Amino acid sequence: MDSASDNSRSLGYETGPKAAPSKTRTDYTKFVFIGPAVIWIVAFTIFPLFYALYTSLYTFRFGQRFGFVGVGNFTRLVTDENLLSSLRVTLSFVAGTVTVEMVLGVALALLLSREIRGTNVMRGIATLPLFATPVAVGYLAITLYYEQDGPINSLIQAFGGKGIPWLSDPFWALVAVILVDIWQWTPFVFLITLAGLQGLPSELYDAARVDGAGAFQNFRYLTLPLLAPLLWLILLLRLVEAFRIFDIPVSLTLGGPGRATEVYSLYTYRSAMRFFDHGYAAAQGVLLLVIVMLIVSLIFSRVRGLYEEER
Amino acid sequence: MRLAYRAGFGAITVLALFFVLFPFYWAFLNSIKRPEETFQPTWIPFLQFQPTLEHWRSQLATPEIRHALLNSVIISIGAATLALALGTLAAYGLARFRFSRPSNGALTTWFLSQRVLPPVMFVTPFFLLMRQFGLLDSVLALVLLNATFTLPFAVIILSQTFRELPRELEEAAWVDGASHLQSFLSVVLPLALPGLAATWVICMAFSWNEFLFALSLTSKSAIPMPVIIAGAEHTRGVQFWFVGVNVLLTMLVPIVLALLAQRYIIRGLTLGALKG
Repeated sequence: MDSASDNSRSLGYETGPKAAPSKTRTDYTKFVFIGPAVIWIVAFTIFPLFYALYTSLYTFRFGQRFGFVGVGNFTRLVTDENLLSSLRVTLSFVAGTVTVEMVLGVALALLLSREIRGTNVMRGIATLPLFATPVAVGYLAITLYYEQDGPINSLIQAFGGKGIPWLSDPFWALVAVILVDIWQWTPFVFLITLAGLQGLPSELYDAARVDGAGAFQNFRYLTLPLLAPLLWLILLLRLVEAFRIFDIPVSLTLGGPGRATEVYSLYTYRSAMRFFDHGYAAAQGVLLLVIVMLIVSLIFSRVRGLYEEER
Repeated sequence: MRLAYRAGFGAITVLALFFVLFPFYWAFLNSIKRPEETFQPTWIPFLQFQPTLEHWRSQLATPEIRHALLNSVIISIGAATLALALGTLAAYGLARFRFSRPSNGALTTWFLSQRVLPPVMFVTPFFLLMRQFGLLDSVLALVLLNATFTLPFAVIILSQTFRELPRELEEAAWVDGASHLQSFLSVVLPLALPGLAATWVICMAFSWNEFLFALSLTSKSAIPMPVIIAGAEHTRGVQFWFVGVNVLLTMLVPIVLALLAQRYIIRGLTLGALKG
């Protein structure tokens, strides 16, 4: 034990960016450190992932495996009107939330980054929605959207508008879900963009000022290119999160009215946990995985630079 | 011009603050108003209406809610502790050793990649597996799963924390005859304590908020707060005063935890791309 760790100092230890890889003996201490987490991920992520793939190839109901159906569950996906409807709802949700959150969050960050005072308070306040339990937020929103004299409709009526049927109308119900998500996640875009802006080198801006650049030129030729990888990362994380939306519609609308807010994850959850159609639910999960992976592979190359400097 | 800019700036700030903070205040207001005052436009306790703690008292005396709060506490602490233990070891390994095939970068990406998998695809396998092991409706199942989901945050936050520590101190310990494991325990861990505490707290907040698997895998005795909340309005209708109390009871814990770990949140949320 002692002699093994003695060796680790000179062999496996990374002394600098260009530390020479050990040639003489493999050091095993490092595997003691990384091993448990690797085994854990294999047991609790990789194995269930393959178990889901396996399940998706069978008719698997009420916890019992019946016959092998091959791609049967997957061909069912294409013809399932309700699944396609949930996919459409999810796409509308993703488009609505991510667009507004990106624009609003980045705009607010650009606006407030000039202020030095109060940034810490701003960050603290932006943290509140981010860590507020999503189910609780959706549940609270029921009272905010209350159609008779709820605060939002009262405000609209105070300005002479007509109360909106927030939760009883299919269109407005989806808008209601989207607005709650915007409330919760715009602070995420804001926080990260603000941190990114504050990390930009000020020398460049000094140089630009000497060259007579205006505010718009600064933004177009300095801020935007410098910030681009980070903005792509925020977009990627938001897309991935938005596609998995579940908590807010469950607590706010339960997917209704009708199927107007039945998002993809809710439909899959119901297939699995209400109808116990495990094989089919697993196939739905695999399809969602494929969609998300497609998005990740499209965007990841633009983000990779952010991670490379220290590895 | 300058004045107009200041005014516009101020207006936008106030509007954004109102938008963010109003729901919290609304929940608080409802939780201390008498039911018959719910729809009256009164906003300031004591001045405009007489507040009451009745709803807080009655909700906190409800056995289901006390039990759910206890479950949430156990799940969060258990999962965060497990994630911290596994994550600390892995993060130190990634920060201080050199791996080849797979490289350090590839290993880190591998740990992080779990964050992009859609959780709902794990509902079926986890349900079937937990049933197999007799862990349905157990707090243990949720501890294990939440530890898994928060592990990537722990790995990424801590590997950066370890990289920022000066190596010289460890080297000095070795010169004094300490083994690698000894220097890790007695030099590195104490120095990394703020980072460790923040990671623990962030993992707790995420575990507290987890809903999908809590809903799928519990039915009675292991139900945590988020699941209690989701079912409430369908059995009793919307009672604004109880909504206020329950929502705040659920939200306050993760919010306070997040504020405690403020400095480390950005690197967690960006999966390590920004140090914040």
